[in-house]
Amino acid sequence: MSAAENEATQAARARGLQLGPVLLTLPATAAMLVFFVAPIAIFVVYSFLTAQLYDVSRPFTLDAYSAALNSDLNRTLARNSIEIGLLSAIFSVALALPVAYWLRYATGRWRMVVLFLITASMFASYLVRIYAWRTMLGEHGVVNSALESLGIIDQPLGFLIFNRFAVTVALVHIFLPYAVLVLFAGFQPIRPGLLEAAQDLGAGAYVRWRRVILPLVAAPALSAFLFVFVLSASDYVTPQFVGGSSGVMLGVQVQANFTTVGNYPLGAATSLLMLAAFVTLYFAIRFGLRLAKLDRVRFS
Amino acid sequence: MTVRSRGALAITIAALLFLYVPLAVVVLFSFHETGSLSLPFTGFSLRWYRFVLSDPGFRSALENSLFVAAWTSVITLLLGTLASFGLARTRSRLRGPLALLFFLPITLPGLFIGLSMLVFFVRVNIDLSLTTVIIAHCVYVFPYFLLIAIAALERLDPALEEAAADLGANGWLRFWRVTMPQIWPLLVGATCLAFALSFDEFVITFFVIGPDGTLPLYIWSQLRRTVDPSINVVSTLLMTVTLVLWLVAFLFALRAARRKAASGDDLVAEVVPL
Repeated sequence: MSAAENEATQAARARGLQLGPVLLTLPATAAMLVFFVAPIAIFVVYSFLTAQLYDVSRPFTLDAYSAALNSDLNRTLARNSIEIGLLSAIFSVALALPVAYWLRYATGRWRMVVLFLITASMFASYLVRIYAWRTMLGEHGVVNSALESLGIIDQPLGFLIFNRFAVTVALVHIFLPYAVLVLFAGFQPIRPGLLEAAQDLGAGAYVRWRRVILPLVAAPALSAFLFVFVLSASDYVTPQFVGGSSGVMLGVQVQANFTTVGNYPLGAATSLLMLAAFVTLYFAIRFGLRLAKLDRVRFS
Repeated sequence: MTVRSRGALAITIAALLFLYVPLAVVVLFSFHETGSLSLPFTGFSLRWYRFVLSDPGFRSALENSLFVAAWTSVITLLLGTLASFGLARTRSRLRGPLALLFFLPITLPGLFIGLSMLVFFVRVNIDLSLTTVIIAHCVYVFPYFLLIAIAALERLDPALEEAAADLGANGWLRFWRVTMPQIWPLLVGATCLAFALSFDEFVITFFVIGPDGTLPLYIWSQLRRTVDPSINVVSTLLMTVTLVLWLVAFLFALRAARRKAASGDDLVAEVVPL
């Protein structure tokens, strides 16, 4: 092979490398366009159509949106969803902060074990966790029967299940591991030296958290908060099993619109409004972080 | 001097108890000799396991779940490996939009994904079946797989591939003999993760399932009918499968981290991309 030919093949190979990588994504891109983007597009179109029982027809209208916004039921359920979502997110992040902190700064072999246990609990089935809390909190559940056999109570505690409290507990149980992982990643760039310096300068635990740690992890803590809030507020399974009547959430109603009620546009419009609220919250959090100048913390 | 963390340790232990006590209770009562699900625990028996294992409904649900999870993880492994190479190696302007497309499903609530898929399948006249469940699971699992695969590829030392290229290895040879030996443990881990996520998925599956149910659907219908330890048995079996898969994935990630890490590096931090 002559030098010129060799150069030509080299150049061809280089061009191939330029084009090649994007081509590799083609099968996945095609699949995602057909099975992910197209469904969402159809879903959005549905929200603007006229409802028929378990079907849709023309003309295009905003009826579903005005119905979704003006329904008293939806408002009550939206308030429930927001409250439960906020409580779940606050408790998850508050609990995850010290756990992630320990995972980051403790020493010794137990860290790997704890990391495994935290992540493993993510894989303990979603439905099983809901069922577990029904077993724990039920009228004849483990908590009540334990307290009764210890003689602490005579009557089962009725406030443990079928309300917002039970839904919140189950949701924190489901989403806590995710919050820990997000925060653990958030703690990574904060070198132990920074905290040791604060300690050497006489900062106690409170001042260290308030003045050093929390500002540095504000951004990841808020992304964990948003993550838990979105998934909790849109949950439709947990409230059905442990929520009772006071713990019903908007997701249950959306699901019903598609399964038992058969009003597709209303269900589509309601869930798109939920999504719009989540996106708004995302931008509000980003804006707040920027105002507080905590969005781009430099660690060096 | 190290940072004091006694309070954090106490809360970590409390969090682990909070996470594990309810699950332990579920497992414990799967061995209960009576049908009661409250204390006192009267004695051990395997009768509920015999009961569940002889239930044809459970067996077909288990088979369906294995079928769905197997296909989901194979498809995800193929499309995900290709896409991760494409995304990690390209300098094209398409990179940003493609990443957005691939990672969007992770940010959307399952309710939303499930419903839009239901509407889509109804609209294009595809009957709901295990096939539609596999399609939905692939969309759901894909970003998780991609996240790990891209992290694995970006941690590679490009000098190794360049050296192989200089020595005359073509693209395929470099892929099989240089890149693959470095990343396969994480790909195995990511495939296990895909299997486990699919095996346990309920929120999306609920909307796209046909007449044949999967294991989580089986639990769901049981939960609505009766409450006896047979649910605990199915729950325990389901958790065992996903936990074993996660253990395998975790050990592969640990192995990859050990190989990669210099002696001073923090192994715990290295495992986290998984």
